[in-house]
Formats: sequence, C-alpha cells, structure tokens
Amino acid sequence: MSELSPTEPITTLVLGFGNPLWGDDGAGIEAVNMLAEKQIPDGVRIEPAGLPGFGLAAWLEDTRLSSLRRLVLVDAARMGLEPGVWRRFTPEEVRLIARGGIVSLHEADLSSGLALSQALGLLPEEVLFYAVEPGSLEDGPELSPEVRDALPEMVEELLLELQNGRGKHDKQEDFDH
Amino acid sequence: MSKRIDVHHVTRVEGHGNIVVEVSDGQLKECRFDVVETPRFFEAMLRGRPYTEASHITSRICGICATGHATASLRASEKALGVQPSLQTQLLRKLTFHGEILDSHILHVYMLVAPDFLGVGSVIPLASSHPEVVLRALRMKKLSGDICAIVTGRHTHPIAMAVGGFTHFPKRSELVELRQRLVDSRLDVDATVELFASLPWPQFERDTEYVSLSKPDEYAFIDGDIVTSDGVRVPAEDYHQVTNEYLVPYSSAKFTKNKRESLMVGALARFNNNYAQLHPKAKDAAATLGMKPKVTNTYLNSAAQVVEIVHCTEDAISVIDQLLEQGVRPEPLAPVQKMPGQGVGVCEVPRGLLIHDYAIGEDGKMTGANCIIPTNQNIGNLQADFRARVPQITNRPLDEMRLDLEMLVRAYDPCISCSVHVLEVAFE
Repeated sequence: MSELSPTEPITTLVLGFGNPLWGDDGAGIEAVNMLAEKQIPDGVRIEPAGLPGFGLAAWLEDTRLSSLRRLVLVDAARMGLEPGVWRRFTPEEVRLIARGGIVSLHEADLSSGLALSQALGLLPEEVLFYAVEPGSLEDGPELSPEVRDALPEMVEELLLELQNGRGKHDKQEDFDH
Repeated sequence: MSKRIDVHHVTRVEGHGNIVVEVSDGQLKECRFDVVETPRFFEAMLRGRPYTEASHITSRICGICATGHATASLRASEKALGVQPSLQTQLLRKLTFHGEILDSHILHVYMLVAPDFLGVGSVIPLASSHPEVVLRALRMKKLSGDICAIVTGRHTHPIAMAVGGFTHFPKRSELVELRQRLVDSRLDVDATVELFASLPWPQFERDTEYVSLSKPDEYAFIDGDIVTSDGVRVPAEDYHQVTNEYLVPYSSAKFTKNKRESLMVGALARFNNNYAQLHPKAKDAAATLGMKPKVTNTYLNSAAQVVEIVHCTEDAISVIDQLLEQGVRPEPLAPVQKMPGQGVGVCEVPRGLLIHDYAIGEDGKMTGANCIIPTNQNIGNLQADFRARVPQITNRPLDEMRLDLEMLVRAYDPCISCSVHVLEVAFE
C-alpha cells in the first residue's frame, strides 16, 4: 500500500476491486498489485480496495484527496465479451447495472458506491474504468488463463495513461495552465 | 385473495439469495429464505494449508467482517496450539475489533436502515435530500476504518494480525491522534442517537432465544462463554450444544436451533444478554432510544447497533488510554506450545456469534475447519418473525407490506452475497 506524505497532493487514485479468492473476481486486485510494482508517476495513489460498496464514497471523501482529478476503477466486469478481453471506458459510455432494493450491506456493489459518490458530489472530474471480462468465477485463488494472460497488457496500457496523462485529464490541465 | 411477494431477489453470478413470501386469505402459505453458504469452500480451501495462512484466507470470507473472521481464526489456532497472546495483543485486537464493529454498524444504520424511515427508498436519494446525514456517516466510517488501518495495516483484510500477536505496531502519535478523533466524534455519535431515537420503529414483539458470548469482566466481543436468554451457558468448545445445525431442503445453508424453534444472534442478543456491561453512555443512549432488556422487537436490532456505536466509541477511547499508559512496544509473537491441536475461536462480529473450529496437524497444516457464521444462525429466526409478522400486516397495501418485510430482513443485515461482486456493464 502506498503511504504518501500529506504534502504530496494525490491527483490520481487507482482502485482495484474484487475478491482474490473468487477466481477472476480478483482480477482488479491482481491488476493494481501488478501496477504498484511499476514506476508510478508522482501524485498517483494505488490501492487494492476490495469490495468497498458504499465505502467508495468514504475513500473519495478523504480530505487528503481534495486535489483529486482522476479516479481509475479497475475491476472484472461482465461486458458480454470473451473472457480475458479488457476495455477502457468512462461511465458516460456505459450503463452500469446497479442492484435495486438491497437488504444487506453485502450487496452494495461498485455501482452503488459510484451512485452514492455522485449524489454527494464526490466524484473527480474524470472517472475511468479499466475492466476485464471474467472467465471463471469458481471458488479459489487462481485467475483463469485468459484473464491472467490479459492483465499484463491492460496494466501496461494503464501505466502509459498514468505516465502520459492521456484523455480528458490532460486537456483539463491545459485549460488550467 | 392471494398475494405473492418476492421480498427480494438477488441475481448473482453464482447462486442466489431469495426471500419469497406468499400470502393467501390473510394466511402465510409460504415463506422461504434461501442463502448460499459462503464459508463452505473456505473450509475445504483451508485443509492442507499452514495454520499461519488461515486468518488471511478466512478474512476474505467477508468484506465487512474481515477482522472478525481473522480474529476468530487466530483464536482458534491459538487455542489449538496453546498460544497465550500478551495483554498488549489483546488490547490491540480489541481496538481494531471496535473499529470494525463501528464501520459495519455505521454503514448499516445509515445506508440501509435510515432511508426506510426517511421515506427516500435508498441512500442515493438520501444523499441528495439529507447530504449532512450521509456525510456524517462517511465521516464516522472513515474514522472507524482508520482505526483498523492504524492497528492492522489495512482498512479491511488485516495484514498485521498473526497467531500469537502482531507484526506491526501503531506509533504513539497515531494512537494519540486516533484518540482525539474519537473524542471529537462524540458529537456525531450523539447526533446518531438523536436521529435514530426520532424514527418511528415498527411495533412488533416476538420473544425468542437470544444467543451471544458473555464474559465476566466486559461486554464480550472476543472470547467468552456462549450464553442464551433462556439460561443456557456453555464454554465455546461446546458450541454444538447451542448451534445444533440442521438442513432444510430449499436452502444450501445450515439452520440452527436450541431451546426453541429458532434463535437470534447479533446486536440485540448482545444487548439483551450483556446490557449490564455496556458503557454508561451506551446505557444512556439505550434509554434515549427507549430500550431496556429484554427487547423482543427484531426491528430494534438496528437500534441496538446504535447503542453499540456509543459503546465501541467510548471503549475504544479507554483501550487507547490503556495502550498509551503502558506504552506500545514491538514484541515477538507468543510461542506455540503444542502441536497438533484442536481449538475453537469465538467472536461477536457485527451480525452476531462467529465460530471457527480448527484442527491442526503435527506438521502445522490444517486438517479440518468448521466456520459457523451469524446469518446461518439467524435464518430460522427470520422465518419465524415472518410467520408472526405477516398476519399482522396483510390488510396493508402490497407495497407497504413489502417495505415492512424488507425492513424486517434488513434489521438482520443478512450476509447473503459476499461472494462475487463482478461489475455488470452494458455498452450504450
């Protein structure tokens, strides 16, 4: 886990989601662990966030993140693609399927956490997903071969984006300066 | 006239949690609650693994009670191996445990329970209509998560907890800061009690057998005897005598019962059995909420959680005071005294009694594991509540009935889908 001094503003937060003991559900966690091994630009904080549900809003409410410009969510996602195929997308490009009328905290998923964060005005200007289509969701700590083989490329692309500031974030910075 | 209510249907990648109620001519025809018994595969996964891995694996059973599973796991291994944790270890565990209870209770009462009463349907619109309420909850949640992170190295899924002690120790300055934040949070805690005392809790009385841990010297969360409101007291090792597990054809989860047709674990059971040991401020909060044992209204399980929010905040402050007074020192793990061995670890996690029963072989590898989670113990009671509640509300419109029954389920905050949380996405 990255520990940053309070003086260093965090501009990008990368969160990995999932449970590493449910097969490819843990792909997001594995991906951010791989990413954390790389040379990470200043101001980027990487965290395996597990299954925070509504707690996502608490991550974002953290005052130390007041300089946050970009949130990257890394997760396994059922997108109707072949197992191991990964995609980069923004919330505007997709429909997140949130669960209705939940009875247990255990059901609060990433969509619920995002919706709550949005209602509270906690989302930064840019929200990005890096998501991989799961193959196996069987009990156990192993990723499926398709997902395991796909992760290095997805992580490399994400790293490039963090280094080069591709996308909206970059443009916004141009306006700021 | 027949009404069928699918109180809840959770579509999941694997398995499903269903609550189905069918009412015909004011009579309850069917009431079924299926849950998937999550820990089953963990029990298989543990066999053959070194005991040192067990707490890290089982903490993944639940993204909410990770510290609870880790602690029950550590206590099972320690009892099996004759390990005696130090006073410092016990205090640090108690502190992080309070952090987790606070985290879970705060989220539950604010994100799931409050929206029912404030007429907004869910917490998302609540965030728009009453942002100060939701932001207060997040502030309190942040503090409780930070307690866990400072003591165990991570918000959920503790890193630093090990058999025999800790592998990382909080700094004095961190504890001093935490203490101050806890003291400051009393304003939020008071506001929480006030909010929940103002809510119109449903009237519903059904006495049952309340089951919890109990200790002579404190409000029990870690270790203790298993006691029931019907006068049973057994050592943790004899848990089978209380949690007689039985199977029903429509559910993969095991049910439990003891003296009566069902039993209840959780905050209300702890409140009823251990009220005398609550912090005085928590007793004041209970009075404000209009609660005095024995409370037999299941909906008030959430109110009992509010009482525990007060207790855990105050007790966390006292535990930090003890730690500051004696000074936190790095210390080696308490040694293993025997191997092989068999041991039972018990904790009161947010949703109730949690039991881990381990057998460890002479090579230090797990040869057997049994985990009994609170929700399984509560399912029978939830169904009994439904059978008692439905006839009282059959004259209400279907929507009101559904909401009432959903609130009843939510009072238990059942652990029904901890397993797979894959994001569901459709490209536009």
